[in-house]
Amino acid sequence: MTLATDDPGALPIVRPGVTLTSLSETVSGRLLSRRPPLWWWIGFGFASMLLLVLIVAVVNLFVAGIGIWGVNIPVAWGLAIAEYVWWIALASGGTIISALFYLTRSPWRAATNRIAETMLLSAAACAGLMPILHLGRPGLFYWLFPYSTVMGVWPQVRSPLWWDFTCLLCYILMSIMYYYVGLAPDLATVRDVAKGRARRMFYGVLALGWRGSARHWRKHQTVYGIMSAIMAPMVVSVHSVVGLDFAAGLTPGWHSTQFPPYFFFGAVISGTALVAMLTILVRWGYGLEGVITDYHINALGKLVLLGSVMLAYAYLFEAWGPIYGANVADRTEFASRIFGFTAPAYWGKVALNIVVPQALWFPAVRRSKPALFVISGGIIVGMWLERYIIVVSSLHRNYMPSYWGDYYPTVWDWAILAGSIGLFLTLFFALLRIVPIVAMSEVREIIAKDGAP
Amino acid sequence: MTENDTFAIIGVFASSRAMVETARQLRGLGLRTIEAYTPYPVEQLAETLRLRRGGPLAWTMAAGALVGASCGYFIQYWDEWLNYPLNVGGRPHNSWPAFTVGAFEITLLFAVAAGFFGLWFACGLPRLYDPRLDSEAFDRASADRFVLRVEARTRQVARESIRQVFEAHGAERIEEAAA
Repeated sequence: MTLATDDPGALPIVRPGVTLTSLSETVSGRLLSRRPPLWWWIGFGFASMLLLVLIVAVVNLFVAGIGIWGVNIPVAWGLAIAEYVWWIALASGGTIISALFYLTRSPWRAATNRIAETMLLSAAACAGLMPILHLGRPGLFYWLFPYSTVMGVWPQVRSPLWWDFTCLLCYILMSIMYYYVGLAPDLATVRDVAKGRARRMFYGVLALGWRGSARHWRKHQTVYGIMSAIMAPMVVSVHSVVGLDFAAGLTPGWHSTQFPPYFFFGAVISGTALVAMLTILVRWGYGLEGVITDYHINALGKLVLLGSVMLAYAYLFEAWGPIYGANVADRTEFASRIFGFTAPAYWGKVALNIVVPQALWFPAVRRSKPALFVISGGIIVGMWLERYIIVVSSLHRNYMPSYWGDYYPTVWDWAILAGSIGLFLTLFFALLRIVPIVAMSEVREIIAKDGAP
Repeated sequence: MTENDTFAIIGVFASSRAMVETARQLRGLGLRTIEAYTPYPVEQLAETLRLRRGGPLAWTMAAGALVGASCGYFIQYWDEWLNYPLNVGGRPHNSWPAFTVGAFEITLLFAVAAGFFGLWFACGLPRLYDPRLDSEAFDRASADRFVLRVEARTRQVARESIRQVFEAHGAERIEEAAA
C-alpha cells in the first residue's frame, strides 16, 4: 500500500464501478422497494415513540402552562430557548454544506448535500416549534407578524427578537424553495425508474414534469447558482441574529460583540457534526458506499475539525472579555460559569467541542467512521451544553445579587427535549423514504468528469 | 408531402460526447431547432447550442431583491412611524439601522422566491404531459441516456441526411415523429 492510495483526497470521489445506470437504479431503488429495510422500521418506530412523548408534553404544556417547566424568575429562559438555538444551529449546518460548498465547487458536496438539506428541514421544524412553546400564550404567536390589527398594535421591529422571527420564517421558506429546485430533476429520475402507476404519478406530479431539456438545465443552473450565493450569506445572518437575541440584552455574559460570529461558529461545528453522523448512517443503511466514499467522510471530518478550531477561538474570547474587562458582574458571572453552578456543563462542552475533536487532526481517526460518528455525537451533546450554559448561566448570576437564582429542569423540560429529537428523527426517516437522498444529477456530473460516458 | 412539412427525428445516445458531436454537426447543416434531454447539465452541449447563463432569470431575481428590499423596509417604516409611532428611549421613529436586518432577510426571501417561481415559469412547468416527448426514447433521459430531438422542414434537409449524422455517431435508437 502506498501513501497515494492511503490518502482519500487522492482517491476518486465516486467508486469506479458506479455508472450513470447503477447510480439511478441504486438511489431510486431505495425509495421504490416495496418494504422498507428493518433498520428503517426500528429507527422510525423509535422516532415515532419519541414523537408521542412530544405530543403528550405539548398538550400538557398548553393545558397547564409553562409552570410545568423549571423556568421561573430570575431564570426565565430555560431549555426551550437553549434548544431553539441548538436546533437552528444544527439546521444551519445543512445550508452551510449545501450552499457554501456549492459556491466553492467542492466535489464532495454533491453526494452529501441532500442529506444535509433534509436534515436542515427536519431540524428547522424543531427550531420553529421551540419559541412558540416558550411563549406562554402560544395561540398569540401570530402577533409577531407585521399586520394591521384592529387593535392598531404592531410588533416592535427594533427588537432582535423580531429580527429573529423574520430570519427564521424567511430561512425556512427559502430553504424549502432551495431544496425543491435541487430536488426536482432527481424526482424526475425516480418517476422514470418507477414501475407502478401510482408511484409514477406521485413522483411525476412532484417532479412538475421535469424532462431534463438542455434549455431547462441552463435556467436551472442559473437559478440554483444565484440561490446558493444568496443562501450562503443568509445562513450566516440567521445564526448571527440568533446571537443578537442575546447580545442586545444587557445581561452579563450576553452583552458581547462576539456573539454573532460565536453563534455562527457553533452552527458550523454542530451542523457538520450532525451531517457527518447522518451521512455515515445513511451510507450504511442504504448501502451507498459507492457514492459516499472515504473522500466524503474525510472531508466532513476536516470540516468538523475546522468548526472546532473556530469555536475554540470563540471560547477564548468568551473568557478573555470578562478577564480583561473591568466589569464586576461579568467576572462574577464568568466565575460562576466555569467554577460554579454550570461548571460541569462548561467543562463538558470544552472537552466535547474542543479537546476531543482535536483527535481529528490524525488521519486515522478522521477516516474511521466509528470514531467520527462518536466524536460528532459528542459535539452534538457538547453544543447542547453550550446553549444551556449561555441561556441559564447569565440569568442565574445577573447584576444584582438579590436577583440570583438557580434553574432545575423538570421532567417536562426533558420531555420536550426528547420529543423534539423524536420530531426531527420522524421527519428525517419519513423523508428518507420519499426523496432521493443523494443528488443524482450532481453525482452524474462527477462521474462524467471522471471519464465515464 | 409538401416542402413545408416539418418532421422531428429523435436519437438516443449512450455517451454525452457522441451527442454533443451530433448536435454540432446538425447545427452545421443549418438546423436550429435542436433540443437535447440529458440526465445532468452537459456543459459542452450548452455551448454548442449557444445557451447562455444568466439572462432574464438572473434579472428577475435581482428585481425580486429590489422589491423585497423596498417592501421589507417600508413595512417597518409604516409600522414604527406612520401607523403606530412608539417612543422607545427617545430613539428615532425611523431607526434605519435596526430596520436593515428585517429588510435584509425579506430582500433575500423575495429574491429566492422570484428565482423559484421564475424558473418554473420560464421552463413552462409544471407540465405533466408533453406530446413531443411522448416516446419511449425519452424514458432513460433522466437516468443514463442522452437524447437529441431535432426538427426540420422537408425542403431544408433530407430526413436521410439527418439519420446518417445520428448513425455516424452511434445512436442506439433513431425515431421519426411528427413535429
